[in-house]
Amino acid sequence: MESGQGYKKNESLIKLLERKLQSDQHKQLFEKLFGNCVYFLVEDLGKLSKNFEKEISRCKIFSGSGIDHDTCRASISEMIKKSGSAGKIGRFSCELGSSGICYPIIQGDKLYGYLVICRAEKQVSDEMLELLSSFMDVSLSDTQKESELKKLYDTIRPRAIALSTVHTLHRLISSTLNLNELLPRIARLTLQVMRANRCSIKLVDSKRKTLLPKSTVDLRAKITKLKKVQIGKWAPGKAVKFGKSIRGRDFLATPLIDEDVIGVITVYDKVDKKPFTDFDEEIMKTLCEQAVIAIRNAQLYKDQERMTIGSIKSIAAIMETKAPGTFLPKASFLKLVHMVGVELKLSEYELKCLEYASLLHDAGQITLPDQLTNKKGVLTGEEYNMIKEHPQKAAIILKPLKALKNVVPIILHHHENFDGTGYPNGLKKEEIPIGARIMGVVGSFEAMITHRHYRKHMTIKNAVEEIKSNSGKQFDPNVVRAFLVVMNKKGILKMLRKEIYGSKKISK
Amino acid sequence: MDLKKLANRSSLHKEIISFFHNNPSSIDTPRGVSVWVHGDLVKVRQVLEELAQEGVLEADKVTSTTGYSYTRNPKIISQIEAILKKTR
Repeated sequence: MESGQGYKKNESLIKLLERKLQSDQHKQLFEKLFGNCVYFLVEDLGKLSKNFEKEISRCKIFSGSGIDHDTCRASISEMIKKSGSAGKIGRFSCELGSSGICYPIIQGDKLYGYLVICRAEKQVSDEMLELLSSFMDVSLSDTQKESELKKLYDTIRPRAIALSTVHTLHRLISSTLNLNELLPRIARLTLQVMRANRCSIKLVDSKRKTLLPKSTVDLRAKITKLKKVQIGKWAPGKAVKFGKSIRGRDFLATPLIDEDVIGVITVYDKVDKKPFTDFDEEIMKTLCEQAVIAIRNAQLYKDQERMTIGSIKSIAAIMETKAPGTFLPKASFLKLVHMVGVELKLSEYELKCLEYASLLHDAGQITLPDQLTNKKGVLTGEEYNMIKEHPQKAAIILKPLKALKNVVPIILHHHENFDGTGYPNGLKKEEIPIGARIMGVVGSFEAMITHRHYRKHMTIKNAVEEIKSNSGKQFDPNVVRAFLVVMNKKGILKMLRKEIYGSKKISK
Repeated sequence: MDLKKLANRSSLHKEIISFFHNNPSSIDTPRGVSVWVHGDLVKVRQVLEELAQEGVLEADKVTSTTGYSYTRNPKIISQIEAILKKTR
């Protein structure tokens, strides 16, 4: 066995063991074995632990002896040296005549320190030493396990918390496909995670020459103006040009890399005034990887939305060529439907579906014979029945367009009545989709105020009264209430009058 | 708002405040926080909402969950630092 000085030491372990031995349970055990003794741990040869002063002052013999601490310390140090060199338990009598034990704490080839027991009141037998030896082995082993667990906990916990933060960020930023909502959210969350004072998101323009500022959160007193940045200039421009993080003391620019670099997130000025670190860079890289997926998804969704709108406009244009001025809804109709939807607190997605349904609600009439579409006179019963089939026809035409999956039911049921007297299925109350109930009210109102070949249009006032009187019968009372709120809004009457007298059609 | 009273409302209040004070960069859901503070999810959710209303935490709500993070208000942070120091 190596000499005491050659052993590897584990300071934290001896401290943990020291704490353990100071517990009531251990104190009682030492008392049972050695009487009202004094014990403490020593980490190094000749270097007594902090507990020495405290423990030795408990020694009654020492207190009344007039001997100072140094003499006592020298005496115990000498004994430790002897015991340490031998690597064995040593019995001793101190300068004051008190008997004690020095126990080297060894496991494998490691010497961790010494347990010193002073002023043992009982005679220390070999059996007691054996018992002490087993007890110390168990205590050391327990302490080692605790120490390893603590190290593991200290290492893993911060990483687990960081991982959990990344996971939460992913959930928060992937919950929207609206770029106008997404980018400010990413900027705000980045600021929060990095504990910085400013965060700016810039995206590469279509010509790939400049970075356009898209969202900035600035908590500093002096707010910096949003500027375009040339690719290759300043930290954000360089991060995009070289496709890697650019870090200074007070800034960190991290590129958003998809197949190509699509932009950059830059954070400035940490709240604690400390410089940005390697760890910050790692976190930002992870955050940007999440952000880029969310941004690309939102961009793809926007593209898809444009395609859907394009398809809808194409269908509407085809319809319009069949009977000009018949199928395209008026701007006022679209606006009223939207405003009633907003008044009823529909979600953004529901409003979008409502908009598409408003544009295509009469798509089924494209299947009607031209003579019926263009007929200038009262319809026969048979003709009216053919017209009543247009919601189902529209549903059949639009069904293959998967993007309109939730739009079709609105179109199919926009002629249902709240009391179940409508068509095609005679649905009642909440069985009718909310979008269809809204279109029912606004569509009827629009029909009443529009001039037809076979009848004069109603005044706006009379049409509103007609809607009110049919609330709870033909129309959903909640929708009617929302409609009346909208009708009282500034500019609505002016818009409607202009349309009735100007009879302008929209080409949206 | 009396932060001392708020922190002393329950041990869970103090645990959660302490967690965010020691991990100011963390953003977590009620489920995540309940793991870190070893607390009951329902109670943790209530306390998180209460702390967010009092300005100790910030809440980012989306359809599926809410992400809670520590305030950036330096006054609140220094008051909490003092409260936690006393109870350490």
